[in-house]
Amino acid sequence: MRLTLDRRDGAGMAGLFLSPLLAVALTLASSIVVFWLLGQDPWRALNVYFLMPVSDFWGVQEVAVKATPLVLIAVGLALCFRSNNWNIGAEGQFLIGAICGGGIAVWTQGWGGPWVLPLMLVAGMAGGALYALIPAVLKTRLRVNEILVSLMLVYVAELLLDWLVRGPWRDPFGFNMPQTITFAPEATLPLLFDGGRMNLGTVITLVVVVVATVVMARTLKGFEIKLVGEAPRAARFAGFDDKKLTLTVFAVSGALAGLAGVMEAAGTVRQLLPGFSPGYGFTAIIVAFLGRLNPVGCLIAGVFIAITFIGGENAQIILRLPRDMTLVFQGMLLFYILACDTLILYRPRLVPRRAPA
Amino acid sequence: MTLSRRNVLAGASALAASTALPMAARANDPLGVGFVLIGPVGDFGWSTMHDVGRRRMEEVLGDAVTTTQVEAVAPPDFDRVVTTLARAGTRLIFTTSFSYFQPTLRMAEQFPDVMFENATGTATRDNLAIYNARFYEGRYIQGVIAALKSQTKQIGYVAAFPVPEVIHAINTVMRGAWSVDPEMRIRVVWANAWFNPGVEADAARALIDQGCDVLCQHTDSPAPLQLAEERGIHGFGQASDMTRFAPNAHLTSSINNWGDYYAARAQAMIDGTWAPADTWGGLDSGMFQLAPFTNLDPEQASHAERVVAGLRDGSIDPFAGPIVNQAGEEVIAEGESLDDDAIRSMNYFYQGIDVSMPG
Amino acid sequence: MTLAEAIFLTVITASTPLLLAAIGELVVERSGVLNLGVEGMMIMGAASGVAVAIVTGSSVLGVVAAIGAGMAMAALFALLTLGLATNQVAAGLSLTIFGLGLSGVVGAPFVGMQRAGIAKIEVPFLSELPLIGPILFRQDPFVYGSVALVAGVAWFLWRTKAGLVLRACGENPVSAHALGYPVLRIRFAAVLFGGACAGLAGAYLSLVLTPFWTAGMTAGRGWIALAIVVFASWLPWRAMLGAYLFGGLIILQLHAQTAGVRVPSQLLAALPYLLTIVALTVIMALRRGGGQVAPQALGRPFVPDR
Repeated sequence: MRLTLDRRDGAGMAGLFLSPLLAVALTLASSIVVFWLLGQDPWRALNVYFLMPVSDFWGVQEVAVKATPLVLIAVGLALCFRSNNWNIGAEGQFLIGAICGGGIAVWTQGWGGPWVLPLMLVAGMAGGALYALIPAVLKTRLRVNEILVSLMLVYVAELLLDWLVRGPWRDPFGFNMPQTITFAPEATLPLLFDGGRMNLGTVITLVVVVVATVVMARTLKGFEIKLVGEAPRAARFAGFDDKKLTLTVFAVSGALAGLAGVMEAAGTVRQLLPGFSPGYGFTAIIVAFLGRLNPVGCLIAGVFIAITFIGGENAQIILRLPRDMTLVFQGMLLFYILACDTLILYRPRLVPRRAPA
Repeated sequence: MTLSRRNVLAGASALAASTALPMAARANDPLGVGFVLIGPVGDFGWSTMHDVGRRRMEEVLGDAVTTTQVEAVAPPDFDRVVTTLARAGTRLIFTTSFSYFQPTLRMAEQFPDVMFENATGTATRDNLAIYNARFYEGRYIQGVIAALKSQTKQIGYVAAFPVPEVIHAINTVMRGAWSVDPEMRIRVVWANAWFNPGVEADAARALIDQGCDVLCQHTDSPAPLQLAEERGIHGFGQASDMTRFAPNAHLTSSINNWGDYYAARAQAMIDGTWAPADTWGGLDSGMFQLAPFTNLDPEQASHAERVVAGLRDGSIDPFAGPIVNQAGEEVIAEGESLDDDAIRSMNYFYQGIDVSMPG
Repeated sequence: MTLAEAIFLTVITASTPLLLAAIGELVVERSGVLNLGVEGMMIMGAASGVAVAIVTGSSVLGVVAAIGAGMAMAALFALLTLGLATNQVAAGLSLTIFGLGLSGVVGAPFVGMQRAGIAKIEVPFLSELPLIGPILFRQDPFVYGSVALVAGVAWFLWRTKAGLVLRACGENPVSAHALGYPVLRIRFAAVLFGGACAGLAGAYLSLVLTPFWTAGMTAGRGWIALAIVVFASWLPWRAMLGAYLFGGLIILQLHAQTAGVRVPSQLLAALPYLLTIVALTVIMALRRGGGQVAPQALGRPFVPDR
């Protein structure tokens, strides 16, 4: 026996609904087995993983805090990936955004006003966009592969941040430790509700999701992005300039990653320090693909991934599972979701060996 | 809705009260103790040794405590992890990195009923204590031993990041070395990582190839010490007793020993005597220990023992004046000594150390 | 040993894990599959290698186990991306998360344990030659193995029919399928080979270079291997050049530090990344217009029509 896939005629509605349901069912079934093997009460474990993070308003806000940068970066990356531009370096653009915005917070400390925050956001976006344009320009001018350039620039951004917070931007009253000052109130994003950390960044992200959805579905640019990705030759015949598009999508995704970075700095962490990002730029790549490169999909996927991260923390705290177990569990979840996605496009069948090719 | 601090606090405590998880309220419940670690527990260095300390505390206090540990917590996740710990009934939380100092201050304000302890922090408040060990005393001894062992008169130092802890350690190693031989020199490589065995090994190779014949390391893995063994030179272990990694190269190790401190602090919580303190324990405190000297001849060993005794009884002060920095300025005059804050925030090398200040 | 000899030796040992992982991924990508899970497979190799070596007392079994672990991870990836035609980028990244976690679980009992490294092979007389002696004739088996692998892969891809078919699967799987070649089975074999190489690279880290286990000890080398494949324009000998160039830059920046160069250490540490970009840019600028590009079908799932 072997497994074959038959392409469905059109996007099967059944699959569209069945896929997530099956993923959930499989996940539940195997988590029950895994937790049972680990000597945990499966129901309690599932509760800790998936329900506790959203069991009250504070928890929901924390999910939003965690999901916001993931969704924002993923929406930008989706534009890149759709048009076959492999921006792997969103992590670097995220850090540069944080550096550019955070730099303004450091520089205006003590004499800033209400104009500081908007300026920071703009600077973060500009920084992220310019940083993303490096691989884009090298790609369009000299056909230098963007995977390599964008990935290498991640490490450069990390080291730049490291140098800045140890040297020029070090907190003068911070015992010479590698960190900037804690940002002044006018350089921090306002919180939305009492008793939680959700800030204006989440609202901005939701707006970006809506705008991106409209652009993709209703505008010529959106059509161009999809066409270049799916039928590059047809796009060329249609007169679309794929080099200009490469520059555009890199700039936009860099700007969004940069915005995510500055909002993380100004909203959640409120200072710059090494190890500032837990790898949001890389995780967002998964989010973009789980969301099927669609802005609303990215929103859903980002929230889901955020819940699994927080669930993993809860599992360490409540169930005393080691972190590595939570990573294994998260990896397993992702496998299931990806596998079940196949059902939307294909109908798997087991056929006898030696089936005619 | 306003965003005043008072409302945030009210909201937080209301949430804490409304949560599904019970707060540890009754007196005879075991004390919930939480640990927030900066790295993975398997780093075999800083975070591993905090985990060893936590388990030692469990051993000492038995059923009187329950412990929880969260590994590799990034700064943006810190507030949530601490809040979840507090809501799960944790009453005493150790945050084991300086990166957590500012956020710990913030959370201590938000959870006045939870006691916090930050490793390597710089200030206390009502419910926040800070603790660290005077690892530099071990560095002074390393410097002395290195000078006794070295033929090339060059010490190699595999450093992680230029933070004050590492900088004053480098200065102290040389202070110790110069006490034996004023011609000793040091070379430093910044690995830009606390643990990355491959790079640590490569850094050690570079130092050995440049003529260093005693290696000090301020990174977590045993890689530099193993290299010392392979190349037939000497080195020191970091964080735990690393004798077995290099039976012929190992001289001594600085062992991080947090367990007794953790047990004492948790006991104080149970007794109701916990108070915010600034603990910076030296050799006599047991917060760090030296592994038995190996590969020293009796004369060298007794010299090292005399230095240990001098550090213990205070007759040797690694930060006694005069101290002159690289620019030739006198930082502190003869007859005086640097205070703790000056040591904690040190960001200059001494005159005679030919290493540029990165960053 | 002179300083130059010592530096060359260190460059080779530092580059070998990168080269091993890169040469495997190169074959995978040549078959049209993009596996971003190299880091995950590599660290599973490192953890399994050291665990089995300690338990059995045999480094050889450790190496075998590392290769097996890399292949098992690769098989998981293949099941998803070939069997179920899922997105390769997402599956590869998920594999990395999974591998980082699982390696921690596998390695946890072995943290802080010590095992003697694998000895170097010394070729009599020849190893006494100046400069080339220590570099060419006093290395560990992995170094020789990695060079042999590069030569083997280069020969296979360009001198054998099977290699031609494999490349055809990466350029135009539809045509290869139409000609009657089992595209998925060929890609499966390629992915397994990539996993084996990544596992071997992991074993080199945990059994030779730094013989012990710590969590996350691959420290991003899987990602660098991916970049080297791109740098190499998917050419095996160029991958060797890329790995040695990158490893060399890392070692040189460490030596620059020991020599007391008055430049921020972060700038020195960033140089390998920056110079790799510069090098690739120069290469591309020199061969303007022509030049090797990625396999045409790279990253695209292939589902045979029946």
